[in-house]
Amino acid sequence: MMAQQHASTPVVEGLFEIVAGTPKLIGSRCQACNNIYFPQSLSCRNPECRDKSVEQTFLPHCGTLYSFTVQRYQPPPLFRMDHWSPYALGLVDLGDGLQVMGMLTRIALDEIIIGMALKLVVEPLYSDAGIGEKLTYKFASAEGAWAG
Amino acid sequence: MGGMTRSVYVLGAGAHPWGKWPDKTQLQLAHEAMNLALGDASLAWPDIQGLVAASSRFEGGMGWGLHANEVVQSVAEQGIPCINVGGACAAGAVAFQTAYALIASGQHDVVAVLGAERMPKGFIPRPPGSPDDISDSDYLRWVAMGATNPAYWAIEANRRKYDFGTSDETLARATVMMRNNASGNRLARFRAATSVEQVLASPMVADPLHLLEICPVSDGAAAIILGTEKYTRKTGHKPVEVAGCAIATGDFGDPARRIPTVSTNVLPNVSHTSEVVNAVNRACEMAGIGPEDVDVLEMADNTVWHLLSWPELFGFYEPGQGDWMLDNGKLEIGGQLSVNPSGGFLSFGEATTAQAVLQICELTWQLRGDAEGHQVPDATIGMSAVLGLGANGGSVILKT
Ligand SMILES: [Zn+2]
Repeated sequence: MMAQQHASTPVVEGLFEIVAGTPKLIGSRCQACNNIYFPQSLSCRNPECRDKSVEQTFLPHCGTLYSFTVQRYQPPPLFRMDHWSPYALGLVDLGDGLQVMGMLTRIALDEIIIGMALKLVVEPLYSDAGIGEKLTYKFASAEGAWAG
Repeated sequence: MGGMTRSVYVLGAGAHPWGKWPDKTQLQLAHEAMNLALGDASLAWPDIQGLVAASSRFEGGMGWGLHANEVVQSVAEQGIPCINVGGACAAGAVAFQTAYALIASGQHDVVAVLGAERMPKGFIPRPPGSPDDISDSDYLRWVAMGATNPAYWAIEANRRKYDFGTSDETLARATVMMRNNASGNRLARFRAATSVEQVLASPMVADPLHLLEICPVSDGAAAIILGTEKYTRKTGHKPVEVAGCAIATGDFGDPARRIPTVSTNVLPNVSHTSEVVNAVNRACEMAGIGPEDVDVLEMADNTVWHLLSWPELFGFYEPGQGDWMLDNGKLEIGGQLSVNPSGGFLSFGEATTAQAVLQICELTWQLRGDAEGHQVPDATIGMSAVLGLGANGGSVILKT
């Protein structure tokens, strides 16, 4: 029996792209007031903006940790993750007034510090014989042994 | 606010105890709460000129959120307007505001407000028909990172620890206070006293929040009858007047972690939890009072973090001062500001659409001196504050 080959794909379409080897979150930027949104938005949401037309943009892929938690219980089934164990969720300041939530990776749970420098990475979340490997974005330490 | 408005009074309040009631339908809970409120007002169904109900997405309402129609059809088909309002966990406040306006405007003299809820078991399912793609924030937060509601609150709590040095013991003390308050309230579900040690020994859900520091879900129902001055004189109760009431939505740039979004646009000088702060500010303006005038605050304590932070956001005291206030007993019944003498969501569990109506029932009993077992001495002004999905905020100020 031939195993069907599937490419690795984002866990949901439109989440990120790999640009020249670097993962980038896909968002929207308002052409009038320059606010950025994630994920892509139908419209600018700034109440003072009268134009409101948005275009696709890539978000900055480095930021600093604003806050975090560790999820000790497995989320309900819509969330899938191979080899589940408690993991950290961070709120990351990407600059330009935008904070994005995401899983933290490659950092020991007791070594997470608010204010630490982080960079965007993409990692497999789960794989399934029928649909292949599903990837999500995460934030990893931008310093030390993990850099590169 | 100006204009030609009439004063509006709470004629009666009633609530079914909170808990899990597998043998009662949502409609039965609604009937029981309505009967208690009617009895408290010395009125009966023929006196009711309109019913405003909080729409639930879980049970009842014929699948269309028609909870007021369902109640009226089952007890008194009398041609009255039935208004059903959405607002998720703030729906009860939206219903109250709607009923208030019907009376203040002169359109009706006696209008009932109802919230009755039976919550599903386990994790709350997504609404039917939600798209399984990136345009749906709820879908995105689950599939991309599995962010549970407690994770959002925990991220706020962890940042508070960083900003103000809030200790795990202070966070736990908020639960201890809520349980102490609930011990004297027969409507509360969790009435056993607890200790800081017991709270900290309960399972960690999302750091730094333990199981006993997060409100569970419950079934419950609450109703209020509003009316004009002429009617309040007939009830025999000490009159309780609606001094202020407002609903609001959020402001762009609000730094709050808003469930279920995965990003926040943060602008300087925009209030955290702005939907509720906006409602509180408008209710205060309408009542002509400031936070310093409030004796009792009934607020949505989904977690202990809310109990520490919300009064600061409303201007009751400086950001970060909540720890000292809590640690020194200033927020207990009879303290400088009595916060949730009822026992709050932490002792009731959240029966989403009924919760904001229950808050206003509690304020009514406190101002009348009828809060048996958990009475705030000499309370004359009470405020409620609630938050719902969709950046819905609501606040009601009652005075006697
Ligand atoms: Zn714009």
